[in-house]
Amino acid sequence: MTIAHDAVWQRLSARMLLVHPVHEVLRQIPVLIGSVVLGSATGNPMWAVGVLVLTVGYGIARWFTTTYRIEPDEVQLRAGVLQRKVLSVPRNRIRSVSTDARLLHRLLGLTVLRLSTGQEAKGDAAFALDAVQAEQVPRLRAILLADSLAVSEEGADAPVGRELARWQPSWLRYSPLSFTGLAMILAAFGLVYQVGAGAALSDSQLAQSGIDAAERLGVMVSVVIAVVVVLLASVVLSVMRSLLTYGNLVLRRDADVLHLEHGLLRAREHTFDMRRLRGGTLREPLLVRLFGGARLDAVMTGVDGAGEASLLLPPCPRATAQTVLSELIARPDAVTGPLRAHGPAATRRRWTRGLVLPAVLLVVLLALAFTVSVPLWVWPVWAVLAVCCALLAADRSRSLGHRVGDGWLVARAGSVERRRDCIAAPGIIAWTVRQTLFQRRAGVATLIAATAAGVKRYQVIDVPAELAWTIAATASPWVAQTEWARQ
Amino acid sequence: MVWAIGAAIPWVVLVIGQLVWFAFDGRWWWLHGLAAAATVVGIVVFVVVVPLWRYRVHRWEIGTQAVYTRTGWLVQERRIAPISRVQTVDTYRGPLDRIFGLANITVTTASSAGAVRIVALDSDVADRVVAQLTDIAALGAEDAT
Repeated sequence: MTIAHDAVWQRLSARMLLVHPVHEVLRQIPVLIGSVVLGSATGNPMWAVGVLVLTVGYGIARWFTTTYRIEPDEVQLRAGVLQRKVLSVPRNRIRSVSTDARLLHRLLGLTVLRLSTGQEAKGDAAFALDAVQAEQVPRLRAILLADSLAVSEEGADAPVGRELARWQPSWLRYSPLSFTGLAMILAAFGLVYQVGAGAALSDSQLAQSGIDAAERLGVMVSVVIAVVVVLLASVVLSVMRSLLTYGNLVLRRDADVLHLEHGLLRAREHTFDMRRLRGGTLREPLLVRLFGGARLDAVMTGVDGAGEASLLLPPCPRATAQTVLSELIARPDAVTGPLRAHGPAATRRRWTRGLVLPAVLLVVLLALAFTVSVPLWVWPVWAVLAVCCALLAADRSRSLGHRVGDGWLVARAGSVERRRDCIAAPGIIAWTVRQTLFQRRAGVATLIAATAAGVKRYQVIDVPAELAWTIAATASPWVAQTEWARQ
Repeated sequence: MVWAIGAAIPWVVLVIGQLVWFAFDGRWWWLHGLAAAATVVGIVVFVVVVPLWRYRVHRWEIGTQAVYTRTGWLVQERRIAPISRVQTVDTYRGPLDRIFGLANITVTTASSAGAVRIVALDSDVADRVVAQLTDIAALGAEDAT
């Protein structure tokens, strides 16, 4: 591998001279709007032009001030226009390399390259080469990962390994079941109101005609129509988003490296080091689970456990997710095997928790009913709520379970967000047994396995207290050797 | 006891606040009585009962293989981490700790959920523990993740 000629400071792709100013202008839109307003108020349009020139100039200056260098044992990035900084990352600490190309980057054949180490790196501290030419990426990736991976990926066209999963159009049927569309609509509303367009909107002709129409139809009908419209829009948005984000997703494994590529407009590619894999999490949100779906997260050191970074598969048929996970961790029984239930005390706790809210409400309602009159429709609403809570409690107690042995810890819990965590026992670096006052009285305990991977803590909720240390000792032999764990 | 004094400080502030309130606003004497009673109960619980309870629960041990602690009062936690996975050992001494000659030790592992805190050790004991732990941690050449 040609490291020698990489040991000089290199610039990012010259095409970034086009991208940086545009991004900079987009980012400074509020300032630009402000300057336009200021310009029209003072009658001097030079304000706006001046700010625009400054912004573009800053964008161009970013290219001239950003350089990177790949040395035999570390990678350095120098950046900053006004505030200079040098980031260096030891090459043997690089855990994963991910690439990301937005639309503008793709049009120009550029890619953002991100390095991830075990450390948490947020914002400016993250090592990102924004951006290099797409043709350089396989070479850079091979060079950067050469130290931490013993794999030789000679040349740009690396041998294509076995494909674990490929996106199917049928996966789209799970996307309306999430709340992303709704969240997007809410975010859009929030943005509109924040900008101050809300006031303008309520005065406009459109809103006026809408209110007129609503008055003609009556309150009930218009509310129903509004709800249906919002729901339809959210479904359409969710489907669109998941199509654009996950369409053409491919999960591939080459020996020790896991490749994940997805995105139609914004192409993203993650490379994971399989030796850092400490397990996986099957997540089954309630609605997705009802339709037999699941999503898969990787539990990996150096990769943030929550959010997009660790995602391996978006909502897809449960069988697919299970097959992929069992292939990754090579233990089908940990993924699909039966779990050991946590016993009556844990079940009782789920039921008390589930029914506290309806019970309190019932007491309040009864008290109100004896003092002042309560409208009749309240009682059916309460009954529905109570039934929902009961179902939730039943489902939560049914989900609860764990499985330990053969070097794996499996824990399942939750109903609305049910998850099954499969953790490799060698990756567990500390155990905590936690008991609240009520848990002590019920004779149960929450066992927390701390790892350096994923979300860092994985809980086994409400196991019988006498079992807690046994589980820990079964998973990690070093616990069994300390006398503390025996009592 | 550091815990008792640490707990007492906010309550003292509260008592002063009540006295000031009483001095400026003499109406509703029964409300003042109620507030004073609540404060007294709070002081007794948090300055006397809770520190004793915490002291009774609190245990720590450093064995040949693992660090172990037991902490808490209402919510009790027992945490065990193997010494081979220890990454850093920090000591912390606040102003109150210094008055009483105490120190707190935090033994961190690679996981944010796996840090073991041993609170309120005598300073010389703490120094010895830190020396012992750093010696052992330095031996482990592995990545410890």
